[in-house]
Amino acid sequence: MLKFLGHRRQTTSGKDPALKPRLRRRSAFEYIAWIVCCLLALGILLSVSTNPNFRWGVVARYFTHETIIRGLMLTIFLTVASMVLGTLLGLLLAIMRSSRIKPIAATAGVYITLFRGTPVLVQLIFWFNIAALYPNLTLGIPFTDIGIAIDVNALIAPITAALIGLTLNEAAYMAEIIRGGFSSVGKGQIEAADSLGMSGAMKMRKVIIPQAMPSIIPATGNQVIGMFKETSLVSVLGVAELLQSAQLIYARTYETIPLLIVASLWYLVMTLLLSYPQSKLEQKYSRTSSRIPRKAKGIVLTAPEGIAR
Amino acid sequence: MSADGTIHARGIRKSFGPKLVLKDVDLDIASGEICCIIGPSGSGKSTLLRCVNGLETVDSGVLKVNGEDLGYYETETAFHALSKKEIAEQRTRIGMVFQQFNLFPNMTSRENIMAGPVLVKGADRKESAKRAQELLASVGLAGFGDYYPAQLSGGQQQRVAIARSLAMDPEIMLFDEPTSALDPEKVGEVLAVMKDLAKKGMTMVVVTHEMGFAREVSDSLLFMDEGVVVERGDARAVLADPKELRTKAFLDKVL
Repeated sequence: MLKFLGHRRQTTSGKDPALKPRLRRRSAFEYIAWIVCCLLALGILLSVSTNPNFRWGVVARYFTHETIIRGLMLTIFLTVASMVLGTLLGLLLAIMRSSRIKPIAATAGVYITLFRGTPVLVQLIFWFNIAALYPNLTLGIPFTDIGIAIDVNALIAPITAALIGLTLNEAAYMAEIIRGGFSSVGKGQIEAADSLGMSGAMKMRKVIIPQAMPSIIPATGNQVIGMFKETSLVSVLGVAELLQSAQLIYARTYETIPLLIVASLWYLVMTLLLSYPQSKLEQKYSRTSSRIPRKAKGIVLTAPEGIAR
Repeated sequence: MSADGTIHARGIRKSFGPKLVLKDVDLDIASGEICCIIGPSGSGKSTLLRCVNGLETVDSGVLKVNGEDLGYYETETAFHALSKKEIAEQRTRIGMVFQQFNLFPNMTSRENIMAGPVLVKGADRKESAKRAQELLASVGLAGFGDYYPAQLSGGQQQRVAIARSLAMDPEIMLFDEPTSALDPEKVGEVLAVMKDLAKKGMTMVVVTHEMGFAREVSDSLLFMDEGVVVERGDARAVLADPKELRTKAFLDKVL
């Protein structure tokens, strides 16, 4: 330590100073941080591996247990289904929100406020109990007797409630992401499309959506990862997804901690698997590289700059 | 006589919030006329041009482009807005070139040029591609059809933008400061394309700071300041001998 405080000695070896490496300065804090963090990691590792209550044997046994795998599949299904449906509904909401017609924009605005402003857990329980509010659902022509009545209690099975709840909630978030993407498209682009006489739908399809994608896609990837973990909430409805499957087992065997570890490991594995393509997507659509569309990146510029006429 | 390629405006008023940016502007442009609009920034010249294309709607006044009321139809008592489809139809007959080019970055030069004919007019893809090739050649970019806008220089992008407007076969071409966003050395190549176009008898309205272009190519010149047309007349006459003091003061600074 004293070497740092005292004056620096200059020694002349035969080595050419131009070839000497330049070393980074390390503060005392850096050394302390290394030591403390290593000790902490060692302590945790030691405790986790030696504490018999973790019961790693049980974890290993149940990791690929049939019930757990079935739960995992259901979790994946719920994630995919609610993301796909939520994105479609979100797109519709985003288009409605940017509408010039006030009531349409306001409807989308109210929807987004409601669904983003209340906890998704509450929403899930709400949809599960919707039969208490509307016991019968009648499909038919208003103000006539024609139509069929459906018992809502039978219609809203736990899994339907889960799917509806997750989809409707996700749609609100996706709507904001998509709308953000839309507003990242310059005003000049829309004016150019207008000056060519493009219709509203054409503008959306050919000009706005393709250009909004670079900002929408990475954010959607993030939502998928979030949704994967969010599905654990539907365990409260008794849907046998990953967490509920683990709960079903430990309710019987009382091996609570090992089974929670099993579920957590699966969540972790899936999240890590998803975050790799997510980071690739982010790179691909990053601001600087997305100026040129993907398929054009292979083109090598060989032509001279600006051939004068 | 056909009114194609003419612009007629009388008493146009336009305000943004409380700010009146066009105060009773009159404008008469004959078919095949080249008109340059000059003036200090904030004088309303760009707004006037954008009104002629329907990018802005005028608050009051008469505005006929190609002989038709732009964006409205007239009855005894009022002007009624046309449907979006009818407005789009009118716009296809007016080409617009922007200061910032506004090429679609997700399409190649050729696709940009084909976008109007194919997507809007429903033209045949093959024929449009051939036409696009001719247009690219006419703006000196024959080999650049597969390039994306981001791979082109500003001057090249602007020439593609001109070709894109021309692909719609408009009767009138509007240029909103087409060379203002360019490197000085790229200005010439864009002006050359515009001069070519002028020779072919296209009606052109050009908002510009290029006095050389105005003197050389333009038939008439409009000097605007604070939302008013201060002076208008033969381009060379106004530039050489402005009648109004305000025009003289402006020209002294920019020439």
